[in-house]
Amino acid sequence: MRYYETVLVLVGLTVGLFLYSCKKEKEEICPIPPTEEPSTEGVNVDLTAVPYNTLSEYQFFDGDLADQLPAEGVLPYKPASALFTDYAKKKRFIWMPEGVKASYVADDELLDMPTGTVLIKTFYYDDVQPSGNMKIIETRVMIRKATEWIFAEYVWNETQTEAHLDMMGSNVQIDWLQDGNPLSTDYRIPSDTECMICHKSENIAIPIGIKPQNLNIDYDYGDGPENQLQYLISKNYLENSIPMSINTVVNYKDESEPLEKRIRSYLDINCAHCHREGSHCDYRPLRLAYSETAVSENMGVCVEPDEFISSALTHLIAPSNTERSVLFYRLQSTQQNERMPLLGRSIVHTEGLQLIEDYINTLTDICD
Amino acid sequence: MNYNKLLLPLMIACIGGFTQAQSTCSTPTVITAGQYTVDTIMGTDIPAPICAQNGTAGTDASEWYEYTPTDDYSIVLSTDLAMNAGGDTRVHVYTGACGVLICHGGDDDSGAGFLSVANFNVFAGNTYLIAFDNRWSPNGFDFVLEEYPYVPPTSLPVTFTPNVLSDLSSGYKYGVVDMNGDYLDDLVSVSDDTLQLHHQNAGGGFTFTEIQHDLVNFLPSWSLAAGDFDKNGFNDLLYGNGSGVAFMKANVDGTSYEVIEGSEYVFSQRSNFVDINNDGNLDAFVCHDVDPNVYYLNDGAGNLQFNQGGLGDHPEGGYYGSIWTDYDNDGDMDLFVAKCRGGQSTAKINELFQNDGTGTFTNVSVAANMYDSVQTWSSAWNDFDNDGDMDAIIGASSTADGSHKFMQNNGDGTFTDITAGSGWDNHTELNIEHVSYDFDNDGYTDVLGGGGKIMFNNGDLTFSPAEYNFSNGPIGDLDDNGFLDVRIGNTIYYSDGNDNNWLKVNLQGIESNSNGIGARIEIFGDWGKQIREIRSGVGFRYMNTLNAHFGIGEATEIDSLIVWWPSGTKDMIHNVTINESVLIVEGTENLSLLEQSGKSIKLYPNPTTNKLSIENGELVSKEKVYIISQLGQVVQSFDAKKNEFDVSALSPGMYVFIIEDSAGKKYSEQFVKR
Repeated sequence: MRYYETVLVLVGLTVGLFLYSCKKEKEEICPIPPTEEPSTEGVNVDLTAVPYNTLSEYQFFDGDLADQLPAEGVLPYKPASALFTDYAKKKRFIWMPEGVKASYVADDELLDMPTGTVLIKTFYYDDVQPSGNMKIIETRVMIRKATEWIFAEYVWNETQTEAHLDMMGSNVQIDWLQDGNPLSTDYRIPSDTECMICHKSENIAIPIGIKPQNLNIDYDYGDGPENQLQYLISKNYLENSIPMSINTVVNYKDESEPLEKRIRSYLDINCAHCHREGSHCDYRPLRLAYSETAVSENMGVCVEPDEFISSALTHLIAPSNTERSVLFYRLQSTQQNERMPLLGRSIVHTEGLQLIEDYINTLTDICD
Repeated sequence: MNYNKLLLPLMIACIGGFTQAQSTCSTPTVITAGQYTVDTIMGTDIPAPICAQNGTAGTDASEWYEYTPTDDYSIVLSTDLAMNAGGDTRVHVYTGACGVLICHGGDDDSGAGFLSVANFNVFAGNTYLIAFDNRWSPNGFDFVLEEYPYVPPTSLPVTFTPNVLSDLSSGYKYGVVDMNGDYLDDLVSVSDDTLQLHHQNAGGGFTFTEIQHDLVNFLPSWSLAAGDFDKNGFNDLLYGNGSGVAFMKANVDGTSYEVIEGSEYVFSQRSNFVDINNDGNLDAFVCHDVDPNVYYLNDGAGNLQFNQGGLGDHPEGGYYGSIWTDYDNDGDMDLFVAKCRGGQSTAKINELFQNDGTGTFTNVSVAANMYDSVQTWSSAWNDFDNDGDMDAIIGASSTADGSHKFMQNNGDGTFTDITAGSGWDNHTELNIEHVSYDFDNDGYTDVLGGGGKIMFNNGDLTFSPAEYNFSNGPIGDLDDNGFLDVRIGNTIYYSDGNDNNWLKVNLQGIESNSNGIGARIEIFGDWGKQIREIRSGVGFRYMNTLNAHFGIGEATEIDSLIVWWPSGTKDMIHNVTINESVLIVEGTENLSLLEQSGKSIKLYPNPTTNKLSIENGELVSKEKVYIISQLGQVVQSFDAKKNEFDVSALSPGMYVFIIEDSAGKKYSEQFVKR
């Protein structure tokens, strides 16, 4: 069944896309039509051979790699709240081999994903200056091998035709328009060591976003909104054993949601990978997972900081007082040794900072 | 009693209303003991200096009061009243006159929440000015001024007075270290294209210089280290950044800096300059947060070669606070790294490496009893019990895996945990910075850690905290008075000193690295023996003085001073003058200390413009006479038979005059050419 669909889609897309890409790149030489038939094998993940040197070898995408059109079995998804990485936009996909599926563990725990699972996340910017074009920077791939997850970091070339494996880390200067306003960043593509700083629990590599609490929202796969978890079940990617009710984070951008849920959702996806048990910074008192922040002390409300920054900063969160709050200070700082999150952000996330300010200003507790 | 006192000012407030709410320094509201209401802070006089904590930001209005006691009192000036709950006040108390105010007291947050309680003593007939400012809030509040019977202040071992520099554009105000070879500590402030230097002047004050340089990608977010790795007399810098390491190499006269950045990914933490392979050239070491440590070996031509492996190889890193010290007294620098990491990872376990003298380092943490998982970013090392070996305070940054440890060196390569009862067991202030100096010059080294507290060493293996209103910053002697000062950003907390005596030892390496980093200095006297080491990079982030600083308490004589250089050279001098700096040039004796039958050699005049003469030159059989620059280079040689030497051709600066006798023994004296 899956095979049959793949063939159809590939034939259709191949023809259409070649024409399209020729039109799009008038000035450039048209790609020479392939002499061989396009692969009809579908996704190619050989666990003994990955990570491949190029992203294209996996055949995750149909047509132009840059169009990121998922091949059959490569399912797009998005978390309810997304990690901020210098305003980079993201496309996320999950793929699993035939005959295996993930299972539910808990609302706030990663799905138990089978060997062979691949998570794909592409980072790009729209309106990149001076051209105004979209530019893909990197595609981060996590592959579930028999005993462990591995990272594979693919850096896109200038012509946006291929992404090459590079585990050393690098920087790219990006200037773009964010809602019409010029912004720029010395964008950091992580090394495998940097990947591990966030993607670990007790020093075992793990994904972050694939949790029921983040996925239990609708996504439009083309036929109108569908619940992502139900969709995964329907595609045989997830056992049909999820509970009726899931404690779900909200989209922190959604102003119709309560502020408290929005801030907790923001902190979960941006901070909890380091501020939870077994993580890089678990020796600090913050516990920022959504399932833990119902207790405001875990969020730092009225908690005195371990690490001194300034005597003015009396608490991690000082109610109604951003000027006295370490959390606010660190989120508005861009200096490496002060800013939070530690990695992934080099410019201020204005909207996130506003959210934190709004939240702090709703608090009325008087600290001891 | 309070009622009457409250009524009066209230009436004044009603009548005078506006005047009271817009008071200035020159039009303060006169008060006596009692309770008063401040309506809104709107007086346009900005308090200066700022006496309470938390700087000048957001402060553009204040309300002023004048108080003249009729008797000596201990005063409590407080906004910590139930009616002010939730408010945020700050107050400064002055003596002196408007425009030339002197801080007498003040407080920001000692009361409940963000309310203020200032305690200070006053004397009958003196006038004190009190200013509440709008640092945090312009909102009104009540305050009380209460008079209590005079209690003499509990005397602190030493006090500090803040002095604010003009604003600096640099984001990284992390250095207090001599940069131009005159052994006076300078201020080093770093940004991505400009190095801001305040060179300390002989006689006080600073000369400010800005040096533009190529853009630096790797700013010293995590640490700054200094050392003269190309031996040209001007210190170079190391910037420890979260993505890599940058070196700033001073040119021939320190007026420009070359930026050298490696391509290697280094999540830097503490960095140090140290001669790792003991070849006479400074190498550089950088702690890695998430990978094995890295180091840069100097080829002797001033080139640094990247290395990784052999000096802390935990694959997950966790290396935060490196400190180089000769813990086993075998004459070479060993390495201790304070470590930190969440979860159950073994990356959090501290590591001690023993140097076998050939550049091979062995992890001896377990055997030495230093294998500890306490979450620490820095440790402070000194001979806290003055028994001739280096002890350690392992400073906790979190109590998730235990707290501070006081580890006493047993003298046999092992350490004993003597935290219990030492004062460190009750010290709950956590910090990423722990550094050891003798702040009160009593002859026992103290520790500056968390909470703005100096843990003063009582000399009996116990420490007592004293609280100051500064935190951690680079440390050095910024007014050359023999007492150590602390820099916090744009503010220098100058030590007011006390009656204790002191000695500073400045080193000029010749065979060893020119800073003498790694040298062990010993002084002998009534106290027995005190030791110091020259270290580049202590604590977590900052770069402190490279001069050895000793306090000797009430003692007035230092019998002898020995410098053990990294090269193995031993220099020894007797009858060291106290309350001065002494320069030791490697491999030479101090000329003025050469004494035979009551006669000693004297070099004069000093400073000089044209000629130098020596008196009693016949005491030594002169074979060679020459002058070396601060760079260790011979700049002029003379006919050794003479006793008068023309130095008019030398450029102004500081030099070392050297006499070599027929046995090859060298005698030196520093002089200033004008």
